[in-house]
Amino acid sequence: MTDTTVRARDKDELARFLGWFSVTLGTAQLTAPRAMCRLVGADDEGAAPLLMRALGLRELTQGLAILARPRPTGWIWSRVAGDGLDLSLLGLTAARNPDRRKRTAFAVLNVLPIAAADFFEGRHLAAKDGRPVPARRIRKAVTIEKTRDEVEQAWVAAEDLRRKVDEAGAEVVIREADGNRGTELAVELVEDPPLGDLGTAAAKLTGRDLATDLADELRRLKQRIETGEIVRSDSTPHGHLLADHLKQRPARPVEEVAS
Amino acid sequence: MKATCWMGRNSVEVEDVPDPKILNDRDAIVRITSTAICGSDLHLYDGYVPTMKRGDILGHEFMGEVVEVGKGVSNLKSGDRVVVPFPIACGACSMCKRELYSLCENSNPNARIAEKLFGFPTAGIFGYSHLTGGFAGGQAEYARVPFADVGPIRIDDASIPDESVLFLSDVFPTGYMGAELCDIQPGDVVAIWGAGPVGQFAAASAFLLGAERVIVIDRFEYRLRIVHEHTGAETLNYVDVDKVPEALKELTGGRGPDACIDCVGLEAHHHGPTYAYDRVKQALRQESERPIALREAIMSCRSGGTVAIMGVYGGLMDKFPIGALMNRGLTIRTGQCHVQRYLRPLLERILNGEIDPTFIITHKIPLADAPQGYELFKHKQDDCLKVVLKP
Repeated sequence: MTDTTVRARDKDELARFLGWFSVTLGTAQLTAPRAMCRLVGADDEGAAPLLMRALGLRELTQGLAILARPRPTGWIWSRVAGDGLDLSLLGLTAARNPDRRKRTAFAVLNVLPIAAADFFEGRHLAAKDGRPVPARRIRKAVTIEKTRDEVEQAWVAAEDLRRKVDEAGAEVVIREADGNRGTELAVELVEDPPLGDLGTAAAKLTGRDLATDLADELRRLKQRIETGEIVRSDSTPHGHLLADHLKQRPARPVEEVAS
Repeated sequence: MKATCWMGRNSVEVEDVPDPKILNDRDAIVRITSTAICGSDLHLYDGYVPTMKRGDILGHEFMGEVVEVGKGVSNLKSGDRVVVPFPIACGACSMCKRELYSLCENSNPNARIAEKLFGFPTAGIFGYSHLTGGFAGGQAEYARVPFADVGPIRIDDASIPDESVLFLSDVFPTGYMGAELCDIQPGDVVAIWGAGPVGQFAAASAFLLGAERVIVIDRFEYRLRIVHEHTGAETLNYVDVDKVPEALKELTGGRGPDACIDCVGLEAHHHGPTYAYDRVKQALRQESERPIALREAIMSCRSGGTVAIMGVYGGLMDKFPIGALMNRGLTIRTGQCHVQRYLRPLLERILNGEIDPTFIITHKIPLADAPQGYELFKHKQDDCLKVVLKP
C-alpha cells in the first residue's frame, strides 16, 4: 500500500502571500519611488525618494528570501521589524507634512493589517520544530475503467510517459480501485525545485511544471485506454500540449492539420 | 463554409471559415440542416462566460446529415440523418457508464482549466467556450462531431420535419431532466422560474410525469401565454406581485410548491433593491451570478421539497439562503443535461404524439441572419421565444 498521508509544508499560504506581497511592493518602491512617495504623503524630491528606494530594496530582498527558503522564520520576523520602521517613518512624514496627513493615514491603515499578518505568521513558523520540510509531496492519480491487467499492459506500452516518470524519480502504484470500480494508477514524487517557491513559479510560467504535466499525461493515458484515442478540439487540433495551453486558437476548423 | 462566430461581447458575425475535418477516428462530419440559438448562448453573447476567444464558432443545438465518418465509427454512415446532443461524451468512462454524460471524463481537452474552476473537469460541449473544450459549434454549415458513435441519434423517418426533433439536442431533454429530478409524485404542485424554451419544456414534462398543477413564473406576457396555451400551466407574472414566495404560498394553500425548477440561471431580472445589489456586484465581477430566481425557488419550496437547478451558473453567488435550505430539509438536484440518456425515450414521446416540440418556435431565419437572431432573442423583440437557423 502507498503512503497516503499528505504532509504539509512548513511554509503555509500566508507566508507565500507575504513573500509575493513583499516582492510586488518592493518592485514598485524600487522602480517608481517618486510615485510611491506621493502615495504616502511624503515629498517626491530630495532624500525621500532615495529612502523609498532603499526600503524597496529591503522589501524585495525579504520577499525573495521568504519565497526561496523552506522555513523563513527569521525573514518573517525581519518583516515585522520592517513594519515597525515603516510605521515610524510614516509618523515622521505625518509630522512634517500636516497638509498631506490623509494620505499618510491611509498608508498607515494599509500597513497595520499586514503587520498583524506578519506577526501571526512569525509566531506560527517559530512554533515549528524539527528539520524544515522544503519539499512538496505530489501525488497524481487517475482511475481507469479497465482491469488491472489491462492497465498494467498499457503502462508498459507507454514508453515516453514511463521515461518521464523515471527521470522525475517518481514512484508508480497500480492497484484495484475500491469496490471493484476500475484500476487506480498513481504517480508519486517529491518536488523540491531550486529556490523553493520561486522555482515553482518559474516552472509554471514557462510551462514546465512537472505536477501539471504529469496530471495531463495521466489523463491522456486514461483517455487512450478507455476510448482508444485522445480527443482533439478545433482549438487544440494538434493534440493537447502543455506549452500551447495559454495560446489556444479560436474554436474553428484549421486549414491544415498534422496527423 | 459559413459559420456564426463570437466576435466579443454583444457581437456575432457570420464568417467564411475552413470546412471541418476528421481529427479523431471516432469523429463524424455533419452537414447541418437545422440549428438553433439557445438561451445559454446569450450568456456567451452577453460576455458572462469566461474563456471565450474572438472567432469561436457558436452553437450547440443542431442536426443534419452525416457526410463523412472516421474509421472508428461503425454505427453511422454517409447520408444518415442525425440529431446531435450538446454534451460530448465518450461512452466508456465511469461517468458515461452511469449515464452521467455531461460529466464525461474523457471528452474535454481543456479538462485542466475546468478542473481549476470547478474542482473536477466536466464534459466537452459544442461551441461553448474553451472551458468546455474549445470545440467549434453547430451554428454553421458543417460541424465535426467527436465520439459520433456515442452521441448522435438517427432519425430514419424522412417524413418527420427537422423542427419536430431538433430540440432533442438540448432544450427538450434539459427541461425534461429538470422535471425528472423533482421526482414528481401524483398530486404534486411544481413551480417553474423562467418561461424560456427550457421552462416551457419543463412545464410540459412536469405534466407528462404526473404533476397535478404547474405554475410558471416570468415577466413576459407572451411567453406566459405560450406556456399556458400549449402545456396548460398556470402563470404568474412576477411584476404583478410584491414577493414571488408569498404569491406562491397564497396559490398553494400556504404549503408552497412541492418542487421548484430554476430555468433562469445567472442573468435573472427583477425589480427592487436585491436586483440592483446583484447587478452591481456582477458588473464589478464580485460575484458571477445574479441568482434571484434560485433564491426565490429555495424560499418558495415547501419544507422537505426539491429544488432543481437547470438554469446555467458559472461561478460564485452571494447571499445563498443556506439556512432555509438546511433547516427546511430541501433537496437540491442539478446538472447540465445528460442528453444522451433522454434521446430515445423523448423521441418516442414525440413519435407517439405526446408532445410536439415545435410550439416554442417563433422565428425561422437563414443562417446568414444569425446576428439579427441574437438581437431578437436577447431583447425579446417581436415576441421572440426560439430562433431556428437554416444554413
